Amino acid sequence: MFKGEVDSLKQKLTEADLNLSVVMKSQQHQQQNNLKLKNPLITASGTCGNGKELADFFDINQLGAFTTKGITVKPQAGNKTPRIAETAAGIINSIGLENPGVDSFIKDILPETKNYSLPILANISGYSKEDFITLAEKLEKREEITGIEVNLSCPNIKGGGMIFGTDPEKVYQITKKVREIYSGYLIVKLTPNITDITETALAAENAGADAVSMINTLSAMKIDIDQQKPLLANTFGGLSGPAVRPVAVRMVYQSFKKLNIPILGLGGVRSGSDVIEFMLAGAAAVGIGTVNMIDPTAGPRIIGEIKEYMLKHQIKNLSSIIGAAH
Amino acid sequence: MFKIIANREVGPGIFQLVLNYDQLPQNPEPGHFFNIKVSQDGSEDPLLRRPFSIFDFDAAEKKIEFVYRVIGKGTKILSNLENGTELDVLGPLGTPFSLNKSGGSIHLIGGGMGIAPLYYLAKKLKSSRQTLYLGAANKAELEFFEEKFKGLGVECHLAAMEEKLEIRGSALVLWLNYLEKNTPDYIYTCGPEKMLAAVEKEALKHNIGGELSVEKRMGCGIGVCLSCSCESRDQDQKNKRACVEGPVFGLGEVILSV
Ligand SMILES: Cc1cc2nc3c(=O)[nH]c(=O)nc-3n(C[C@H](O)[C@H](O)[C@H](O)COP(=O)(O)OP(=O)(O)OC[C@H]3O[C@@H](n4cnc5c(N)ncnc54)[C@H](O)[C@@H]3O)c2cc1C
Ligand SMILES: Cc1cc2nc3c(=O)[nH]c(=O)nc-3n(C[C@H](O)[C@H](O)[C@H](O)COP(=O)(O)O)c2cc1C
Ligand code: FES
Repeated sequence: MFKGEVDSLKQKLTEADLNLSVVMKSQQHQQQNNLKLKNPLITASGTCGNGKELADFFDINQLGAFTTKGITVKPQAGNKTPRIAETAAGIINSIGLENPGVDSFIKDILPETKNYSLPILANISGYSKEDFITLAEKLEKREEITGIEVNLSCPNIKGGGMIFGTDPEKVYQITKKVREIYSGYLIVKLTPNITDITETALAAENAGADAVSMINTLSAMKIDIDQQKPLLANTFGGLSGPAVRPVAVRMVYQSFKKLNIPILGLGGVRSGSDVIEFMLAGAAAVGIGTVNMIDPTAGPRIIGEIKEYMLKHQIKNLSSIIGAAH
Repeated sequence: MFKIIANREVGPGIFQLVLNYDQLPQNPEPGHFFNIKVSQDGSEDPLLRRPFSIFDFDAAEKKIEFVYRVIGKGTKILSNLENGTELDVLGPLGTPFSLNKSGGSIHLIGGGMGIAPLYYLAKKLKSSRQTLYLGAANKAELEFFEEKFKGLGVECHLAAMEEKLEIRGSALVLWLNYLEKNTPDYIYTCGPEKMLAAVEKEALKHNIGGELSVEKRMGCGIGVCLSCSCESRDQDQKNKRACVEGPVFGLGEVILSV
């Protein structure tokens, strides 16, 4: 046997050698404020309920983190049905942020998350700056959650959400206010319904966000040609699923070089290869949304597929590929 | 794992699908549904699963049965799948019918493919006084079901929109013809939401209790996405998910869209 052959045999990584963990750094410059994930998979808000539904299918502690369904200050009944339409490799939803409101969230939903050991992120939405302030105040120092994801991008509510998310100045102001109040990990979720997402991403960074997540859904609609009417009761909805992935990857790629804070990339992930693609573009962590609605055990399957990729390419530390496509 | 052992046309555009399974998380009860992935080999189109109610179940033979109408892309693909094909199926899902009221006289009212969940229900109900009121477009669509229900000893009344059977018209009109002289103790109904709303209204007017099964457009079928929310009449006003708290609801429990 040649020496080279012996070396390569010695070095050949096995599954036990693989390190899938990632650290999402905090701008607060203290170690304990970083978001440490055992792997980069984070559930996308609104597609995974609040944990217990998926927990029927697998141990959700295998995931990197869990993001809860978006909450608002007051309870919301959501939009009329139909709230979902299917399109090629995607879905258009207009749920309209149906949620029990922040007080019930704290009283009824947060206690249930104590059964899990993974980091929990609370996704929040509002109609005004004051709403975000109220939500940040109520969630500050809640030990059940590790961080919040400020949704400045929901296309499904009138007068809020996306309106803030398309204006870098508003993104800056809201993020800054929330940052003053909230001391945990702060992620700002951005809309793709904008010309240059790096402007809003930079605004969030400059205002003190620890990370940005991109993308929320793309504004879309479907017309029922037999009824000759919009299919969704709300007319417009948000497109998600594999169809949006190239757009999301492009936005992560564009933002990576301009930002100093980590990116949570999401949109259309269906497999381990998709997670790798997002990480190569520059995502430190990757969200899984629509895929869970089709395959409730997608999380553990995708983790397995990531490991296969790492073995194939002999990558020991997954975090080493973040941004490697640049 | 689920394998197709029969997938045959039993009426115009109506198919009977029989699957063999290895194991199920629990045995299905009448009113439960299954969410079937119709796209094959990892295709992303169509992306979502398709929900179908349990039509029949045989634990000894490890068989579950569905009947479905070809509507669009998903059911078209399903109808072309051959025996031996393995299917990705989730279920049983949802909240089933309650069978505890099954003593007295019972009316089953089915509009179109709303018949699907009522067969296994009729099989499981203890009552020997069951009457079916079934409506469809034409006689050819009804024959398979008439034979099945007659096999259970259920009295059958049939209506069609395109031709005169007992009447020419809907299951609702047919049922209303009998309601006054033959008032049941309890009803079970499934069909288009407009029909359900009308049946519910009449039943409540006559002080008859019962249950209905709704067909809401679904995203996940497992309660995570809130696509299938139904407005509730409960005090707390909380929405109910057709895929978890439903698809079976008590009469008057949720607000139906008309
Ligand atoms: C709980 C439940 C049980 C059902 N049981 C049966 C059954 O036993 N037999 C049967 O023939 N049909 C049943 N349906 C309806 C069946 O799911 C639809 O006909 C089927 O999904 C149509 O798919 P498609 O791709 O052919 O149609 P498309 O119109 O191309 O489907 C597009 C999208 O709309 C949805 N959709 C279309 N029509 C309906 C509908 N009527 N209800 C709900 N979603 C719809 C599809 O699921 C898909 O997401 C049931 C629906 C529900 C919610
Ligand atoms: C049914 C549904 C509900 C959603 N609800 C929320 C929400 O409450 N808050 C939020 O920030 N994003 C919400 N989203 C957006 C997702 O979190 C995610 O950003 C988007 O769907 C893209 O990822 P995906 O293609 O993997 O689903 C929702 C998406 C879907 C499909
Ligand atoms: S279909 Fe997703 S919650 Fe019912």
